[in-house]
Amino acid sequence: MDKQNPVQEIVSQPYKYGFVTEIETEKIEKGLNEDVIRLISKKKKEPEFLLNFRLKAFNQWLKMKEPNWAELGYPQINYQDIIYYAAPKASEKKESLNEVDPKLLETFEKLGIPLSEQKRLTNVAVDAVFDSVSIATTYKEKLAEHGVIFCSISEAVNEYPEIIEKYIGTVVPINDNFFASLNSAVFSDGSFVYVPKGVNCPMDLSSYFRINSGDTGQFERTLIIAEEASQVSYLEGCTAPMFDTNTLHAAVVELVALEEASIKYSTVQNWYSGNEDGVGGIYNFVTKRGQCRGKKSKISWSQVETGSAITWKYPSCVLQGEESIGEFYSVALTNNHQKADTGTKMIHVGAKSRSTIVSKGISAGQSANSYRGLVQMGPKAYGARNYSQCDSMLIGDKASANTYPYIRSQQPQSSIEHEASTCRISEEQLFYLQSRGIGFEEAISMMVSGFCRDVFNQLPMEFAAEADKLLALKLEGSVG
Amino acid sequence: MTDSNQWLDSLPAPNGILESVQRRGREALTQTKAPNNSFENWRLTDIRKLENLLTLPVYKKENSIENDFPLKVVRPPSDGIRLILNHNSDPLERVNLPKGLSSLTKLELEQNLGRTNAKCLFQEEWPVALNYASASNLLALKVTGKAPPIELILSSNPNQFNPTRVIFVLEENAELDLLEIAMGSEESAHSHLIEIHLSQESKVQHGMIAIGKKDSHLLCNIAIQQDIRSEYSLTCVQTGWSLARLEPHVVQVNGNAKTNIKGLQLSKKDQQLTTNTQIRFDGPDGMIEQLQKSAATDKSQCIFNGVIEVPRIAQRSNASQLSRNLLLSKKARIDTKPELRIIADDVRCAHGATVSQLKEDELFYLRSRGISSAKAADLLLKGFYQEILSLLPVEADRWDVLNTLLDS
Repeated sequence: MDKQNPVQEIVSQPYKYGFVTEIETEKIEKGLNEDVIRLISKKKKEPEFLLNFRLKAFNQWLKMKEPNWAELGYPQINYQDIIYYAAPKASEKKESLNEVDPKLLETFEKLGIPLSEQKRLTNVAVDAVFDSVSIATTYKEKLAEHGVIFCSISEAVNEYPEIIEKYIGTVVPINDNFFASLNSAVFSDGSFVYVPKGVNCPMDLSSYFRINSGDTGQFERTLIIAEEASQVSYLEGCTAPMFDTNTLHAAVVELVALEEASIKYSTVQNWYSGNEDGVGGIYNFVTKRGQCRGKKSKISWSQVETGSAITWKYPSCVLQGEESIGEFYSVALTNNHQKADTGTKMIHVGAKSRSTIVSKGISAGQSANSYRGLVQMGPKAYGARNYSQCDSMLIGDKASANTYPYIRSQQPQSSIEHEASTCRISEEQLFYLQSRGIGFEEAISMMVSGFCRDVFNQLPMEFAAEADKLLALKLEGSVG
Repeated sequence: MTDSNQWLDSLPAPNGILESVQRRGREALTQTKAPNNSFENWRLTDIRKLENLLTLPVYKKENSIENDFPLKVVRPPSDGIRLILNHNSDPLERVNLPKGLSSLTKLELEQNLGRTNAKCLFQEEWPVALNYASASNLLALKVTGKAPPIELILSSNPNQFNPTRVIFVLEENAELDLLEIAMGSEESAHSHLIEIHLSQESKVQHGMIAIGKKDSHLLCNIAIQQDIRSEYSLTCVQTGWSLARLEPHVVQVNGNAKTNIKGLQLSKKDQQLTTNTQIRFDGPDGMIEQLQKSAATDKSQCIFNGVIEVPRIAQRSNASQLSRNLLLSKKARIDTKPELRIIADDVRCAHGATVSQLKEDELFYLRSRGISSAKAADLLLKGFYQEILSLLPVEADRWDVLNTLLDS
């Protein structure tokens, strides 16, 4: 079959059903220099400390080299060809779902996303009751009752500058890595959460419901602070496919958990991953790190990574507090030409700190899926324990699954256990399910879902159900 | 890192049977960058110690194996042959090779020299270039049928850089028991390179006991090429070196072969011991079983990097890799990285790693039976070491390896 022509056709035509028609009111020239940073800071009306923070980061960034140790093999990014500031974009409202790409609606249907949500995602005008803004307002009132602050980081910079100044850049320093420095210099927007002492946040916070979220842009920055004995669960992203014209996404997420506080951070990432031939797609280079600063504090990362052409992220925990707990649960699925290099770092500093890592990688098509993680026991991590499990599933003989676990111990009274295995969907299992009348693709998806169960169990309810379907959808047509 | 030019200048002019290799090695050294910590493979290496290594000259000087070695030299094996390998003389001088062993002819040598190295991608490695540049003698043997066991003593002189090079070519169905004993002298460096080519259905039992002394350094590269249905098993024990780097690379050229690698490293004082293994299946149905054990005391460091590569062609491979580590003091360090790179889908690959100290409950069990805690710890350590030591070729029993290890 001559596949060349239809593919070319699709590639050459612009995406018909674009979500957003950009009516940019204001933007600055392409490129990055000190003036651009001053301009960004000025436009956002930021206090001086933040401008200095950005400038310092920028100067660091200039001295740094783009890393290539992960051998991800992406074309060189021209950092002077990016627009680093654009004023909030207005978007065209659509009258009804009929105007939306039917393929996309089909995807929504398969994912089981509720109608009102579908409308919101596709920018269709929704009735007042379901309007996301009104939902968000209601949420905001409820949160305020408990003293929880949940707003965009730009808002927080102006309203709570002292908290921002105290915490920003303390978990991920401005010179941490190339992309984190770049983010620190030019970050656009993101979420800010502050949970006061002793408060158990009354609901799961989601990046969805933040008002004024607008377009967070390429350089998202999130800061979550949980004061003593508080609890919060934050959800980022969604299962719906997200399209974006920006190729590079370099976000930074910082979490701070004080004594006995607990933060649960869940991500579902389904950015555009390029077409079947690996053309296009997002580069998702993220720095996520949490510090368990207080005694018995806990940070738990769970993630389902299915999108992006290249995913490069290692959500980490620095376990400083005595008896602090770090967790990492991850499912990374790659198909076609996707590349995912993901894992975690568990850095045990405090005595009796504990960490658990469960990572499931599924590689299909011609993709590459790597687990890269570090478990480090510092000299003072007396009685610390770690357990890691990294399983890979290979679908087809062109995909690769790599495991690079770095293990380092300087404390004899600590213990580290790591295990990894590789498997595939066996003919026998398939036959068993098929002989019971279960369709081929459904059987595959059942097995994948079973493989990922340990991780799905850690996801918030609504995410878990969607994530399951998302994997099935992503694997469609890749088997057999 | 000081550049290697000064060291190169101190080398004698290229000569002898390895003249062309020496030229190539020296050329390579001037062109390749000396290792530093930004190289993934040298990330944890104590570069200062590596620099020391290059301050040692290469020159000819008589030495004898009775030379105050860290291990008491026992009598040669009764049923096998002992060869002494040093930088200065031909190891086969005054030796009658028994049946099953013969020197490689000039033609065979030409065909085989560096071939296994290339298969194992050693050509580009800096320690190999060092060996190429400096080694002037080599031991090159062909094995046919069932050869008597060989005991190879690699001796090194104090205050100098000692390069040694060995090639074994096993014919079809040949069998070999090889025990190498590398002993470091004070202030010495030893660069050892061994290539073994296993033809179809041949078998090698390879033991490597590497015991160093104060300020001794070892760079040892082991290149193994396995044809189908061959079996190779390697058991390495290393201890006592200020800096040691043992790098076995194995390639199963057409798959369908068996590889078994067991390693034990015990570091003390401020020693840094490294084992880097790399196993690649270039065909289907291959098998590898690997167990690496490390124990670190005082301020020392043990490092293990194990790579298993399973490319698309290597369907039905079966690989298992386990790294078990004991951290025995507060200032010691353990670094381990068991690494899998898999593309073939119908494979069984598993790896595991543990780092801990001696188990509380095991100690308790022994103490509750009236054994003092020091003795109980000794017993457990003995068990930890013995699992590997028992797999050394039989001739190793005559050497008092276990007690040398326990003397710490």
